[in-house]
Amino acid sequence: MTNSTMPAERLLDLENVQVHFPMREGLVKAVNGVSYHVNKGEVLGIVGESGSGKSITARAIMRLLPKRAVDAGGTIRFRPRDGEEIELSALSRNSRAIRQVRGNHIGMIFQEPMTALSPVHTIGTQIMRTIQLHKGLSRSAARERAIDLLAKVRLPRPAELVDAYPHQLSGGMRQRAMIALAISCDPSLLIADEPTTALDVTTEAQILDLLKQLQAELGMAIIFITHNFGVVADIADRVSVMYLGRILETASVDDIFYAPKHPYTQALLRSIPRLGVDQGRRLPTIPGMVPDPFSVPQGCEFHPRCSHARAGLCDVKAPPERRFGSQMSRCHIADQFVQEPVHV
Amino acid sequence: MSDLSAGAATLPDDVLISVRNLKKYFPIQAGWLRRKVGDVKAIDDVSLDIRKGETMGLVGESGSGKSTVARLMLRAYSLTGGSILFRQSDGSVIDVSNLTDRQMRSLRREMQMIFQDPYSSLNPRMNLLELVGEPLVIHGVGTQAEIRDRVAELLEVVGLRPEFLNRYPHAFSGGQRQRIGIARALALNPSFIAADEAVSALDVSVAAQNINLLQDLQEKFGLTYLFITHDLGMVEHIADRVGVMYLGRLLEVAPTEQLFSKPLHPYTEALMAAVPQPDPRGNRTRKRVPLKGEIANAANPPAGCAFHPRCPYAQPRCSAEVPALRAVEGGRQVRCHFAEELSLAGAVA
Repeated sequence: MTNSTMPAERLLDLENVQVHFPMREGLVKAVNGVSYHVNKGEVLGIVGESGSGKSITARAIMRLLPKRAVDAGGTIRFRPRDGEEIELSALSRNSRAIRQVRGNHIGMIFQEPMTALSPVHTIGTQIMRTIQLHKGLSRSAARERAIDLLAKVRLPRPAELVDAYPHQLSGGMRQRAMIALAISCDPSLLIADEPTTALDVTTEAQILDLLKQLQAELGMAIIFITHNFGVVADIADRVSVMYLGRILETASVDDIFYAPKHPYTQALLRSIPRLGVDQGRRLPTIPGMVPDPFSVPQGCEFHPRCSHARAGLCDVKAPPERRFGSQMSRCHIADQFVQEPVHV
Repeated sequence: MSDLSAGAATLPDDVLISVRNLKKYFPIQAGWLRRKVGDVKAIDDVSLDIRKGETMGLVGESGSGKSTVARLMLRAYSLTGGSILFRQSDGSVIDVSNLTDRQMRSLRREMQMIFQDPYSSLNPRMNLLELVGEPLVIHGVGTQAEIRDRVAELLEVVGLRPEFLNRYPHAFSGGQRQRIGIARALALNPSFIAADEAVSALDVSVAAQNINLLQDLQEKFGLTYLFITHDLGMVEHIADRVGVMYLGRLLEVAPTEQLFSKPLHPYTEALMAAVPQPDPRGNRTRKRVPLKGEIANAANPPAGCAFHPRCPYAQPRCSAEVPALRAVEGGRQVRCHFAEELSLAGAVA
């Protein structure tokens, strides 16, 4: 246990978390010094392109890293709503302590519900097992709670669907069933890893609506991982932007969208087509592509693609975290560069 | 092949391809004898004109039949009913729907497709020369040396280095693979390209690069696109006109600006309201009532209007009578009994 205690409102605290993958071609620093925190009851959005490390960081919290991943340092501390502070980074993948946290204090939902739900057990059985394990309820009480949960996630005919297998449900209904499973033990934190990416827009809107309602009702915090800026604008209170295993900017959702202080955030936002803006014109793009993880650029990892990069500074020295009130930007010139209007 | 019905078919001068009363039913088979017990009406009575040089957007949720329309146009599936008229490069109009496979093959020079998944649509055992050159080989265009030159040129056109000729798809990122697919589609100088979710699998910065490439190519080669997507922001950006599909039917067709500022079909309104915008303040003030329920089963569609069980404006007539796709003012088409009476909210002021 570290000596410093977390502030009272703090639920989760990541400090300099590192996850490496030793590969034949070299060492991949998939998560390269990530620090963020989640307060009780808030929604933290994590956005980034594929390979930026957003999912691996979430897996590090759950201690569910792939077998070949190396936990290369950093601390992850978690204090459930009612309970002692736990240093998650000190727990091993299969320890009794982490199994008490998973499913009980921290729930997780994924992009593809079929990867999380067992195809050979009914929805009801899977929820009941979790409740029986963590809450010590009897079979019949657990079944009743499972039906309640299915009603809570607004599945139609919950008393019937409790005996359904996942394959009998549509994609949106499966996602609801997985949410019911994740919130079955009333967790303090829900980690949602691209939960709406595979869904149609009208179903996505329903699921986002449901998550917002459950969050308000149960007072749980959510880490919402997505690559969709529209979704993050809709659900998040604060947002962290990741690139190549690092967080480049963290700010309130309004600051991220209307006053970003990192060139990468600005450039990403400009490259999304917006309704009613610039129809038919070419989109401003970020030159080049994400470098391969074996040859991460020196200095600021974004400098080769950055239109503001300064020779002799950005290509030499890694930028420190610079703070502007509650906004953090990992950019040398965060306070200097002229803020071009992102939202035209 | 021009002896086949070419004389009878006519198209307005500015139209490149015209789909009329298109139908595609997939049989439902059951039992030991695989008897046919019903039909999935994947496409039911779709009519659509695509003009020369325009980008026609086609939006809809999964299962709405938007990809099936494209596949029918290129005759990857056989039609259950309807016709597809296509203006060839020599100006003659041909009915694609009753061509034999052999006749169709030569027409595919002019009609090509780009697919969503750049991973499964490229053969991992073929290098770029073989992949991009394959259409040329199949159509017997040029000698080996000529094909090599043409492939190098095509790679340059899509922004890949010509020296990549001997590399295999695994060496490329998703965005680059998508460009390989585009080069392959361009190999035979087509006039029409159906792009099926061509940028949906890509990260935002890569999607923007590839969208710009598609627009550049359109200008350079005078291409006509059918752009299929579920991303309304993307379709508003790239399309000249947009068709909205639901459960195998076309519910609305309109010029992009008009569709987004003043939708005429309740489903279009609901679709636009559902998409979260990258604008937190706007999302907070926008009234968003999520659509109830899910898309109906295409094997057992609702009576009357296919959308009526989910429609907030539905009236008794909607469950009794199938609305026709009818022309309304401004060159728009809509399949709703009450289009003129409703005042629907668009996504753009």
